[in-house]
Amino acid sequence: MFILITGGSGSGKSEFAETQILRLSKEKRIYLATMKCFDEESKKRIARHRKMRAEKQFETVERYLNLKKADIPEGSSVLLECMSNLVANEMYDPEGAQEKAAEEILEGILHLKSRAKNVCVVTNEVFSDGEQYDDDTMRYLSYLGKINCEMAKMADEVYEVVYGIPLQRKGGQSR
Amino acid sequence: MILVTGGAFQGKKEYVTRQFGILPQEMTDGAKCSWDELRQCRCLVHFHLFIKRMMEGQEDPSDLCEILMEENPDLIIVTNEVGYGIVPMERFEREYREKCGRICCEIAKEAVEVHRVICGIGQVIKRA
Repeated sequence: MFILITGGSGSGKSEFAETQILRLSKEKRIYLATMKCFDEESKKRIARHRKMRAEKQFETVERYLNLKKADIPEGSSVLLECMSNLVANEMYDPEGAQEKAAEEILEGILHLKSRAKNVCVVTNEVFSDGEQYDDDTMRYLSYLGKINCEMAKMADEVYEVVYGIPLQRKGGQSR
Repeated sequence: MILVTGGAFQGKKEYVTRQFGILPQEMTDGAKCSWDELRQCRCLVHFHLFIKRMMEGQEDPSDLCEILMEENPDLIIVTNEVGYGIVPMERFEREYREKCGRICCEIAKEAVEVHRVICGIGQVIKRA
């Protein structure tokens, strides 16, 4: 099962994603964390998410770059959070894939799918404030947008979470 | 409580008038109303701006949902759905978006109905 979960910031995506993995799996649960901890603010975010997962028995694996090399136990259930960070890492880290970010990440997703029984990816809606940004940011938007579209094609279910309410965009009864 | 959300300029207020029979002059504006007005009003628009004003005044809005549930439980809350853009450079803007989201998640959980409006068209996404 491959589930894609999107939504705005602070929309309750993470909690919903964790619930999905719990619903799907009794086997080994892996939390694939993509956010680099570099300041107080990110520490706070990470602490918040760690607390939410503490009771849910996830093993945390940190992966900032090169998703296709992630060590994923066969048959596990993987929650990747968050695609928006991974794309930024691949674009801006000197060791990242740079202009190949989208292709590399999509190969990484195929890698996850080939190893894990269930994969759930959390991504981010960052496309709707209608501003024209600098070239780099526009490139970032195009990569993340492409990755989201490609993942949605592969996914069995796609949800947009609005203030904790899941709106199903693919799978089940909607198309 | 009823929550109505959607992007800016999507016709949320007109929708509220159609749906709930509340006229524009009966709506209280979160951009400028007082706490007392908030406690007594029937419909609050620009809820996100009320949160922003609190934060600008160094007040913590974390308990806002709880306070409203206690003191004005039948309120209709209209808010812009912020947080669908690139994460802002300024720390305050980031915290404001995050806070708006968290508070609206709580309100959505408590609300009997949540409506989402796009192009003036409302969709009930929760009905308890």
